[in-house]
Amino acid sequence: MTAPTAHLASVGTCLPGEPVDNATLAKFVGVDETWAEMFIGNTSRYFAVDLATGQVRYSLADIAATAADRALAEAGLGPSDIDCVVMGTATPDHLMPATVNLVADRLGIDNVPTYQLQSGCAGAVQALDVARTLLLAGRCATVLVIGGDVCAKHLERDFDPGSRTSAELVNYALFGDGAGAAVLSTDPLGTGIAIRQVLNRLVGLGREPGQIIDWFGLGDRHSDRPAVSEDYKAIEETVPPLAQQMFWELLGDLGWGADQVDFLLPPQLSGRMSDRISAAMPAPGARRINVVRTVGNNGNALPFLQLAELLSQWDGPGRAVAVAVESSKWIKSGFALERS
Amino acid sequence: MTTALAGTAEFRTLLEEELGLYLEEEDLDRPLDDFPDWDSVLLLRLVTVVEGVVGGRIPVADLLQVRTFRQMHQVVTDR
Repeated sequence: MTAPTAHLASVGTCLPGEPVDNATLAKFVGVDETWAEMFIGNTSRYFAVDLATGQVRYSLADIAATAADRALAEAGLGPSDIDCVVMGTATPDHLMPATVNLVADRLGIDNVPTYQLQSGCAGAVQALDVARTLLLAGRCATVLVIGGDVCAKHLERDFDPGSRTSAELVNYALFGDGAGAAVLSTDPLGTGIAIRQVLNRLVGLGREPGQIIDWFGLGDRHSDRPAVSEDYKAIEETVPPLAQQMFWELLGDLGWGADQVDFLLPPQLSGRMSDRISAAMPAPGARRINVVRTVGNNGNALPFLQLAELLSQWDGPGRAVAVAVESSKWIKSGFALERS
Repeated sequence: MTTALAGTAEFRTLLEEELGLYLEEEDLDRPLDDFPDWDSVLLLRLVTVVEGVVGGRIPVADLLQVRTFRQMHQVVTDR
Protein backbone atom coordinates (compact mmCIF):
# COMPACT_ATOMS: atom_id res chain seq x y z
CA MET A 1 0.00 0.00 0.00
CA THR A 2 1.43 3.38 -0.97
CA ALA A 3 1.51 6.25 1.51
CA PRO A 4 -1.31 8.76 1.00
CA THR A 5 -0.67 12.18 -0.54
CA ALA A 6 -2.35 15.35 0.71
CA HIS A 7 -3.92 17.35 -2.09
CA LEU A 8 -5.21 20.89 -2.19
CA ALA A 9 -8.72 20.32 -3.53
CA SER A 10 -10.06 23.88 -3.39
CA VAL A 11 -9.82 27.32 -1.80
CA GLY A 12 -12.53 29.78 -0.75
CA THR A 13 -12.21 33.30 0.67
CA CYS A 14 -14.38 36.00 2.21
CA LEU A 15 -13.55 39.70 2.62
CA PRO A 16 -16.25 41.58 4.53
CA GLY A 17 -18.00 44.59 3.01
CA GLU A 18 -16.48 47.05 0.57
CA PRO A 19 -12.76 47.86 0.37
CA VAL A 20 -11.78 50.78 2.62
CA ASP A 21 -9.21 53.01 0.90
CA ASN A 22 -6.64 55.22 2.61
CA ALA A 23 -8.69 58.40 2.16
CA THR A 24 -11.66 56.80 3.94
CA LEU A 25 -9.41 55.47 6.67
CA ALA A 26 -7.91 58.95 7.14
CA LYS A 27 -11.40 60.42 7.41
CA PHE A 28 -12.59 58.04 10.13
CA VAL A 29 -9.51 57.23 12.19
CA GLY A 30 -7.17 60.10 11.37
CA VAL A 31 -4.22 58.15 9.95
CA ASP A 32 -2.71 60.36 7.27
CA GLU A 33 -3.27 58.81 3.84
CA THR A 34 0.03 59.98 2.31
CA TRP A 35 1.87 58.40 5.23
CA ALA A 36 -0.11 55.14 4.93
CA GLU A 37 0.65 54.95 1.22
CA MET A 38 4.38 55.73 1.65
CA PHE A 39 5.29 53.67 4.69
CA ILE A 40 2.74 50.86 4.86
CA GLY A 41 2.02 50.62 1.16
CA ASN A 42 -1.46 49.17 1.58
CA THR A 43 -4.05 50.83 -0.63
CA SER A 44 -7.14 49.18 0.85
CA ARG A 45 -8.44 46.72 3.44
CA TYR A 46 -11.79 45.32 4.56
CA PHE A 47 -13.46 45.64 7.94
CA ALA A 48 -16.23 43.66 9.59
CA VAL A 49 -17.21 46.98 11.18
CA ASP A 50 -18.94 49.72 9.22
CA LEU A 51 -16.53 52.61 9.87
CA ALA A 52 -19.22 55.21 9.22
CA THR A 53 -21.63 53.91 11.87
CA GLY A 54 -19.48 51.72 14.12
CA GLN A 55 -21.89 48.85 13.61
CA VAL A 56 -20.31 45.37 13.66
CA ARG A 57 -21.73 43.73 10.56
CA TYR A 58 -19.94 40.38 10.61
CA SER A 59 -18.44 38.06 13.21
CA LEU A 60 -15.42 35.88 12.50
CA ALA A 61 -17.79 32.89 12.40
CA ASP A 62 -19.84 34.67 9.69
CA ILE A 63 -16.96 35.30 7.31
CA ALA A 64 -15.17 32.02 8.09
CA ALA A 65 -18.37 30.06 7.34
CA THR A 66 -18.78 31.94 4.05
CA ALA A 67 -15.18 31.22 3.03
CA ALA A 68 -15.55 27.54 4.03
CA ASP A 69 -18.84 27.24 2.18
CA ARG A 70 -17.17 28.60 -0.96
CA ALA A 71 -14.27 26.13 -0.60
CA LEU A 72 -16.70 23.21 -0.22
CA ALA A 73 -18.70 24.33 -3.26
CA GLU A 74 -15.52 24.73 -5.29
CA ALA A 75 -14.49 21.16 -4.40
CA GLY A 76 -17.98 19.88 -5.18
CA LEU A 77 -18.31 18.54 -1.64
CA GLY A 78 -20.97 18.76 1.05
CA PRO A 79 -20.68 18.95 4.84
CA SER A 80 -21.01 15.18 5.22
CA ASP A 81 -17.84 14.71 3.14
CA ILE A 82 -15.71 16.54 5.73
CA ASP A 83 -14.19 14.36 8.42
CA CYS A 84 -12.16 16.97 10.29
CA VAL A 85 -12.05 20.78 10.65
CA VAL A 86 -8.94 22.77 11.65
CA MET A 87 -9.03 26.53 12.13
CA GLY A 88 -6.39 29.13 12.97
CA THR A 89 -7.15 32.58 14.36
CA ALA A 90 -5.71 35.24 16.65
CA THR A 91 -9.11 36.86 17.15
CA PRO A 92 -11.77 34.25 18.00
CA ASP A 93 -15.31 35.57 18.50
CA HIS A 94 -15.20 34.14 22.04
CA LEU A 95 -12.64 32.28 24.09
CA MET A 96 -15.35 29.63 24.38
CA PRO A 97 -16.98 28.18 22.39
CA ALA A 98 -14.15 27.96 19.90
CA THR A 99 -15.11 29.69 16.65
CA VAL A 100 -14.27 26.54 14.66
CA ASN A 101 -17.24 24.81 16.29
CA LEU A 102 -19.61 27.69 15.53
CA VAL A 103 -18.45 27.54 11.91
CA ALA A 104 -18.95 23.76 11.80
CA ASP A 105 -22.47 24.28 13.14
CA ARG A 106 -23.25 26.85 10.43
CA LEU A 107 -22.00 24.45 7.77
CA GLY A 108 -23.88 21.43 9.14
CA ILE A 109 -20.72 19.57 10.10
CA ASP A 110 -20.94 17.37 13.21
CA ASN A 111 -19.51 14.28 14.84
CA VAL A 112 -15.96 14.88 13.55
CA PRO A 113 -12.79 16.07 15.29
CA THR A 114 -12.30 19.84 15.26
CA TYR A 115 -9.26 21.85 16.27
CA GLN A 116 -8.70 25.56 16.75
CA LEU A 117 -5.19 26.95 16.87
CA GLN A 118 -4.50 30.18 18.74
CA SER A 119 -2.25 31.61 16.08
CA GLY A 120 -1.06 34.67 14.20
CA CYS A 121 0.49 35.08 10.78
CA ALA A 122 1.78 31.49 10.71
CA GLY A 123 -1.66 30.15 11.69
CA ALA A 124 -2.82 29.12 8.26
CA VAL A 125 0.36 27.09 7.79
CA GLN A 126 0.01 25.52 11.24
CA ALA A 127 -3.57 24.55 10.38
CA LEU A 128 -2.41 23.07 7.06
CA ASP A 129 0.29 21.18 8.99
CA VAL A 130 -2.25 19.60 11.36
CA ALA A 131 -4.58 18.76 8.46
CA ARG A 132 -1.86 17.22 6.32
CA THR A 133 -0.48 15.22 9.25
CA LEU A 134 -3.95 13.74 9.87
CA LEU A 135 -4.33 12.92 6.17
CA LEU A 136 -0.91 11.27 5.90
CA ALA A 137 -1.54 9.29 9.09
CA GLY A 138 -4.72 7.89 7.57
CA ARG A 139 -6.88 9.40 10.31
CA CYS A 140 -8.95 11.43 7.85
CA ALA A 141 -9.58 11.57 4.11
CA THR A 142 -10.98 15.09 3.66
CA VAL A 143 -10.16 18.00 5.97
CA LEU A 144 -11.54 21.53 5.95
CA VAL A 145 -8.87 24.08 6.92
CA ILE A 146 -9.89 27.62 7.85
CA GLY A 147 -8.05 30.79 8.83
CA GLY A 148 -9.38 34.23 9.59
CA ASP A 149 -9.26 37.32 11.74
CA VAL A 150 -11.61 40.15 12.65
CA CYS A 151 -10.16 43.18 14.44
CA ALA A 152 -13.52 44.85 15.23
CA LYS A 153 -12.75 44.64 18.95
CA HIS A 154 -9.68 46.83 18.41
CA LEU A 155 -11.17 49.36 15.99
CA GLU A 156 -12.20 52.51 17.79
CA ARG A 157 -13.96 55.40 16.12
CA ASP A 158 -14.54 58.97 17.28
CA PHE A 159 -11.36 59.13 19.32
CA ASP A 160 -8.69 61.80 19.41
CA PRO A 161 -5.94 60.39 17.15
CA GLY A 162 -3.43 62.53 19.08
CA SER A 163 -4.11 60.41 22.17
CA ARG A 164 -2.88 57.22 20.49
CA THR A 165 0.65 55.85 20.55
CA SER A 166 2.58 55.59 17.29
CA ALA A 167 2.13 51.82 17.19
CA GLU A 168 -1.63 52.08 17.72
CA LEU A 169 -1.92 54.53 14.81
CA VAL A 170 0.13 52.27 12.54
CA ASN A 171 -2.18 49.35 13.28
CA TYR A 172 -5.10 51.19 11.73
CA ALA A 173 -3.26 51.42 8.43
CA LEU A 174 -1.86 47.90 8.62
CA PHE A 175 -4.63 45.52 9.55
CA GLY A 176 -7.91 44.39 8.07
CA ASP A 177 -10.40 41.56 8.35
CA GLY A 178 -10.91 38.45 6.26
CA ALA A 179 -11.22 34.70 6.18
CA GLY A 180 -10.08 31.89 3.95
CA ALA A 181 -10.53 28.15 3.73
CA ALA A 182 -9.17 25.18 1.86
CA VAL A 183 -10.27 21.60 1.42
CA LEU A 184 -7.43 19.08 1.70
CA SER A 185 -7.97 15.56 0.55
CA THR A 186 -6.13 12.29 0.01
CA ASP A 187 -8.02 12.07 -3.30
CA PRO A 188 -6.63 14.28 -6.08
CA LEU A 189 -9.81 16.34 -6.26
CA GLY A 190 -10.16 19.68 -8.00
CA THR A 191 -6.90 21.47 -8.64
CA GLY A 192 -4.70 18.36 -8.92
CA ILE A 193 -2.16 20.09 -6.69
CA ALA A 194 -0.21 18.00 -4.17
CA ILE A 195 1.02 19.46 -0.88
CA ARG A 196 4.59 18.20 -0.84
CA GLN A 197 5.75 19.67 2.44
CA VAL A 198 4.56 21.80 5.36
CA LEU A 199 7.07 23.13 7.91
CA ASN A 200 6.26 25.01 11.08
CA ARG A 201 8.87 25.86 13.70
CA LEU A 202 8.94 27.97 16.83
CA VAL A 203 12.18 29.98 16.81
CA GLY A 204 11.42 32.27 19.76
CA LEU A 205 13.83 30.88 22.35
CA GLY A 206 15.18 33.87 24.26
CA ARG A 207 13.54 36.38 21.89
CA GLU A 208 11.12 39.02 23.14
CA PRO A 209 7.70 38.83 21.43
CA GLY A 210 7.41 41.07 18.35
CA GLN A 211 3.66 41.37 18.75
CA ILE A 212 1.32 41.06 21.73
CA ILE A 213 -2.48 41.00 21.60
CA ASP A 214 -3.87 41.13 25.11
CA TRP A 215 -7.32 40.18 26.36
CA PHE A 216 -9.36 41.56 29.21
CA GLY A 217 -12.09 40.38 31.56
CA LEU A 218 -14.12 41.88 34.39
CA GLY A 219 -11.17 41.85 36.76
CA ASP A 220 -8.72 43.72 34.54
CA ARG A 221 -10.82 45.50 31.92
CA HIS A 222 -9.77 48.91 33.25
CA SER A 223 -6.10 47.97 33.04
CA ASP A 224 -3.91 50.41 31.14
CA ARG A 225 -2.15 47.59 29.27
CA PRO A 226 -2.35 48.18 25.50
CA ALA A 227 -4.72 45.79 23.72
CA VAL A 228 -2.31 45.42 20.80
CA SER A 229 1.38 46.26 20.69
CA GLU A 230 4.21 45.64 18.26
CA ASP A 231 7.96 46.00 18.13
CA TYR A 232 8.15 47.27 14.57
CA LYS A 233 11.91 47.52 14.46
CA ALA A 234 12.32 43.89 15.55
CA ILE A 235 9.74 42.78 12.99
CA GLU A 236 11.45 44.71 10.19
CA GLU A 237 14.84 43.22 11.06
CA THR A 238 13.85 39.65 11.87
CA VAL A 239 11.15 38.64 9.39
CA PRO A 240 13.27 38.83 6.18
CA PRO A 241 16.03 36.45 7.40
CA LEU A 242 13.50 34.02 8.92
CA ALA A 243 11.62 34.00 5.61
CA GLN A 244 14.80 33.21 3.69
CA GLN A 245 15.72 30.42 6.13
CA MET A 246 12.29 28.82 5.72
CA PHE A 247 12.52 29.07 1.93
CA TRP A 248 15.83 27.20 1.89
CA GLU A 249 14.63 24.62 4.45
CA LEU A 250 11.63 23.77 2.29
CA LEU A 251 13.77 23.48 -0.84
CA GLY A 252 16.39 21.44 1.02
CA ASP A 253 13.77 18.99 2.31
CA LEU A 254 12.35 18.46 -1.16
CA GLY A 255 15.58 18.55 -3.14
CA TRP A 256 14.24 21.39 -5.28
CA GLY A 257 16.46 24.11 -6.72
CA ALA A 258 15.52 27.78 -6.28
CA ASP A 259 15.32 28.07 -10.07
CA GLN A 260 12.68 25.31 -10.13
CA VAL A 261 10.14 27.37 -8.19
CA ASP A 262 7.46 28.82 -10.47
CA PHE A 263 5.46 30.70 -7.84
CA LEU A 264 6.52 32.27 -4.56
CA LEU A 265 4.03 33.29 -1.84
CA PRO A 266 6.10 35.54 0.50
CA PRO A 267 5.15 36.65 4.03
CA GLN A 268 2.44 39.36 3.88
CA LEU A 269 3.20 42.04 6.46
CA SER A 270 2.31 45.16 4.53
CA GLY A 271 2.48 46.18 0.89
CA ARG A 272 5.82 47.87 1.36
CA MET A 273 7.45 45.20 3.56
CA SER A 274 6.19 42.31 1.44
CA ASP A 275 7.54 43.88 -1.74
CA ARG A 276 10.93 44.25 -0.07
CA ILE A 277 10.99 40.72 1.35
CA SER A 278 9.67 39.30 -1.87
CA ALA A 279 12.30 41.05 -4.02
CA ALA A 280 15.10 39.78 -1.77
CA MET A 281 13.96 36.15 -1.79
CA PRO A 282 16.18 33.87 -3.84
CA ALA A 283 13.75 32.45 -6.41
CA PRO A 284 14.87 34.12 -9.63
CA GLY A 285 12.21 32.80 -11.98
CA ALA A 286 9.29 32.68 -9.58
CA ARG A 287 6.21 34.83 -10.02
CA ARG A 288 5.47 36.58 -6.72
CA ILE A 289 1.96 36.28 -5.27
CA ASN A 290 1.43 39.28 -2.98
CA VAL A 291 -2.07 40.33 -1.93
CA VAL A 292 -1.65 42.36 1.29
CA ARG A 293 -1.50 45.69 -0.55
CA THR A 294 -5.19 45.49 -1.45
CA VAL A 295 -6.65 43.23 1.27
CA GLY A 296 -4.72 44.52 4.31
CA ASN A 297 -2.99 42.34 6.87
CA ASN A 298 -5.74 39.97 7.91
CA GLY A 299 -3.44 37.50 9.65
CA ASN A 300 -4.65 33.95 9.46
CA ALA A 301 -6.59 34.63 6.24
CA LEU A 302 -3.63 35.87 4.17
CA PRO A 303 -2.13 32.57 2.95
CA PHE A 304 -5.59 31.46 1.77
CA LEU A 305 -6.01 34.73 -0.13
CA GLN A 306 -2.59 34.15 -1.68
CA LEU A 307 -3.62 30.58 -2.57
CA ALA A 308 -6.80 31.86 -4.24
CA GLU A 309 -4.72 34.31 -6.28
CA LEU A 310 -2.20 31.55 -7.07
CA LEU A 311 -4.94 29.25 -8.40
CA SER A 312 -6.22 32.03 -10.65
CA GLN A 313 -2.75 32.35 -12.23
CA TRP A 314 -1.53 28.75 -12.21
CA ASP A 315 -2.10 26.70 -15.36
CA GLY A 316 -0.37 23.42 -16.06
CA PRO A 317 2.45 21.74 -14.15
CA GLY A 318 4.74 23.60 -11.79
CA ARG A 319 5.90 24.23 -8.25
CA ALA A 320 4.94 26.85 -5.66
CA VAL A 321 6.51 27.72 -2.32
CA ALA A 322 4.81 29.76 0.42
CA VAL A 323 6.45 31.28 3.50
CA ALA A 324 4.77 32.89 6.53
CA VAL A 325 6.45 34.32 9.62
CA GLU A 326 4.68 35.03 12.89
CA SER A 327 6.33 37.73 14.95
CA SER A 328 4.43 37.18 18.23
CA LYS A 329 6.77 34.63 19.81
CA TRP A 330 8.47 34.11 16.43
CA ILE A 331 7.43 31.21 14.26
CA LYS A 332 8.73 30.49 10.78
CA SER A 333 6.55 28.36 8.55
CA GLY A 334 5.95 27.44 4.97
CA PHE A 335 4.61 24.92 2.52
CA ALA A 336 5.37 23.61 -0.94
CA LEU A 337 2.92 22.67 -3.68
CA GLU A 338 3.41 20.75 -6.90
CA ARG A 339 1.26 19.95 -9.89
CA SER A 340 2.55 17.28 -12.26
CA MET B 1 0.96 80.12 10.41
CA THR B 2 -0.17 78.60 13.64
CA THR B 3 0.57 80.47 16.81
CA ALA B 4 0.61 77.28 18.96
CA LEU B 5 3.82 76.10 17.29
CA ALA B 6 5.15 79.41 15.96
CA GLY B 7 8.46 79.22 17.79
CA THR B 8 11.01 76.43 17.80
CA ALA B 9 10.81 76.30 21.61
CA GLU B 10 7.14 75.26 21.39
CA PHE B 11 8.02 72.76 18.70
CA ARG B 12 10.76 71.23 20.87
CA THR B 13 8.35 71.02 23.80
CA LEU B 14 5.86 69.17 21.62
CA LEU B 15 8.55 66.74 20.42
CA GLU B 16 9.53 66.02 24.01
CA GLU B 17 6.06 65.72 25.51
CA GLU B 18 4.35 63.85 22.71
CA LEU B 19 7.18 61.84 21.17
CA GLY B 20 9.63 61.53 24.04
CA LEU B 21 12.31 63.19 21.92
CA TYR B 22 14.36 65.76 23.89
CA LEU B 23 16.20 68.24 21.66
CA GLU B 24 18.36 71.27 22.39
CA GLU B 25 17.91 74.27 20.09
CA GLU B 26 21.14 73.41 18.22
CA ASP B 27 19.93 69.85 17.61
CA LEU B 28 17.32 71.27 15.25
CA ASP B 29 19.98 71.68 12.55
CA ARG B 30 21.50 68.21 12.88
CA PRO B 31 20.63 65.69 10.16
CA LEU B 32 17.72 63.40 11.08
CA ASP B 33 20.05 60.42 10.57
CA ASP B 34 21.79 61.50 13.80
CA PHE B 35 18.68 60.45 15.76
CA PRO B 36 18.46 56.67 15.82
CA ASP B 37 15.04 56.78 17.52
CA TRP B 38 13.52 58.91 14.77
CA ASP B 39 11.58 56.79 12.29
CA SER B 40 8.51 56.76 10.07
CA VAL B 41 6.29 55.60 12.92
CA LEU B 42 7.24 58.63 15.03
CA LEU B 43 6.63 60.79 11.96
CA LEU B 44 3.04 59.52 11.81
CA ARG B 45 2.55 60.36 15.47
CA LEU B 46 4.06 63.82 14.91
CA VAL B 47 1.71 64.48 11.97
CA THR B 48 -1.27 63.30 14.01
CA VAL B 49 -0.39 65.40 17.05
CA VAL B 50 0.47 68.54 15.05
CA GLU B 51 -2.74 68.27 13.03
CA GLY B 52 -4.60 68.12 16.35
CA VAL B 53 -2.79 71.22 17.65
CA VAL B 54 -3.13 73.35 14.52
CA GLY B 55 -6.58 72.07 13.56
CA GLY B 56 -5.78 71.31 9.92
CA ARG B 57 -3.89 69.08 7.51
CA ILE B 58 -0.10 68.99 7.33
CA PRO B 59 1.50 68.49 3.89
CA VAL B 60 3.04 65.09 4.64
CA ALA B 61 4.70 64.86 1.23
CA ASP B 62 6.69 68.02 2.11
CA LEU B 63 7.52 66.64 5.54
CA LEU B 64 9.08 63.60 3.91
CA GLN B 65 11.60 65.81 2.09
CA VAL B 66 13.06 67.50 5.15
CA ARG B 67 16.51 66.70 6.51
CA THR B 68 16.40 68.43 9.88
CA PHE B 69 13.91 69.16 12.65
CA ARG B 70 14.18 72.89 11.87
CA GLN B 71 13.04 72.25 8.30
CA MET B 72 10.25 70.13 9.75
CA HIS B 73 9.19 73.03 11.93
CA GLN B 74 9.16 75.29 8.84
CA VAL B 75 6.88 72.91 6.95
CA VAL B 76 4.52 72.83 9.93
CA THR B 77 4.43 76.62 10.32
CA ASP B 78 4.30 77.43 6.58
CA ARG B 79 1.20 75.34 5.97
